[in-house]
Amino acid sequence: MTKYAFYPGCVMPTEQYAYEVSIREVLPLLNIDLVDVEGFSCCGEPMKSMNQLMTLYLSARNLALAEKQNLDLFVPCPMCHLSLSECQRVMESNTEMRDRVNSMLASEDLQYNGSIDVVHTVNLLHDHIGTEEIKKHVKKSLSGLKIATHYGCHLIRPSEVGRPVDSENPQKMETILKVLGAEPMDYPEKLDCCGAMLSANHPESALTKTGQKLQKVQEQGFDVFVDVCPWCHRMFDSKQVKAGETVAVKLEIPVMYLTQLLGLALGVKKEKLGLELNLSPVDKLKLGDK
Amino acid sequence: MGIVDLTSMAEGQTTLRNEINERLLKLKSEISDYCFQCAKCTSGCEAHKLLELEPHKVVALLKRGLIDELVNSDVIWTCMSCFKCRERCPQKVAPVEILFALKNMAVASGKQIPGKYTAMLQSILSIGLIQDVQTVSTRDNKTKKRDDLGLPEVSKPVDAVKFQTAITKLAVEKV
Repeated sequence: MTKYAFYPGCVMPTEQYAYEVSIREVLPLLNIDLVDVEGFSCCGEPMKSMNQLMTLYLSARNLALAEKQNLDLFVPCPMCHLSLSECQRVMESNTEMRDRVNSMLASEDLQYNGSIDVVHTVNLLHDHIGTEEIKKHVKKSLSGLKIATHYGCHLIRPSEVGRPVDSENPQKMETILKVLGAEPMDYPEKLDCCGAMLSANHPESALTKTGQKLQKVQEQGFDVFVDVCPWCHRMFDSKQVKAGETVAVKLEIPVMYLTQLLGLALGVKKEKLGLELNLSPVDKLKLGDK
Repeated sequence: MGIVDLTSMAEGQTTLRNEINERLLKLKSEISDYCFQCAKCTSGCEAHKLLELEPHKVVALLKRGLIDELVNSDVIWTCMSCFKCRERCPQKVAPVEILFALKNMAVASGKQIPGKYTAMLQSILSIGLIQDVQTVSTRDNKTKKRDDLGLPEVSKPVDAVKFQTAITKLAVEKV
């Protein structure tokens, strides 16, 4: 078993339970041991528009907490992953800022040393576990399933910060899904944003972005839309009906987390993957235990 | 310390404003050397079609030093931080980062902050996360909580007071 400290962030552990349930169910089957750590806070990225120093401080604080465990950090949210990666970059390149942040962290007996890596679901599966290993565990092929993937902006950009996936042609999820027997296919809107970051101040526009993307996915006849971000999933799955109403289209696209679909392919019962929590019509897929 | 103090024109905000201003001036000098207004940023901007954000114009206005005008404009709050402009700029200018700095300045200057940002900050101050644990419903309308799903308690700052003190300091004073 390879151990990772588990950084849940905010959105997943407070409402996107399907992601967390499926992660905790599936990763141990692939010999990943997730260690829960006390004391984490928001990564700071949602506060970047208000106060960037706060973003940096919060990220450094979480990294410092993980360092105490002496374990690399598993971060399933792309936004948290970007915030923590950017923090590492600033702390490595700007010693003045590093000293300043560390002096602030001292009040909680914490210190950033830069000794650990942060890993997202996609690169944990693709690069660390590897598709060869995943292949060995497949019990139920997803053959014939036409899949549209959605990576989430923060997972792929900005590449200057060092992202786990290519910014203009991300293919790691596709590679994983092919190993599961499925048929992932590229589509013109693949890199389009879900709009979630507008929810705070332009909720209608946020839903329009979501609706426009899903409409295109639906028109192209995909069976399922797969994502790896709790913010994106909240838009595409939890708010799919509203998004459809916003663009005046009846949307009926099953949306799943990659870890849920992976779980089904590894033979996990759907009750254990939080599938009842997906509000999009995932029953259409006729997957799981028959 | 409430949200009003955090975002008001309190004395402590002066240093913060000076700092953000320095950041903006640094960005301005970098842009003056590089941006040639090709508008590739705007052509790919996710907020352009819907909300008329034109990143190349934001860059042009900053280049001319119109910082106050930008800070007072609602358009800076239409960015959905997709980072496409930063990724695709042939000159490595990052309009999205300029927008973050401008929004930070608007907040530090006591401008009205749109939408849910203040609620998120308030929640971070009190529990460390942008929102507290929710009860969700399933497709067939049953309600579920974390423990119904066998999930452990959420990781939050252990010493809430220490955490709050650090965050508050950061929002109002020079640190």
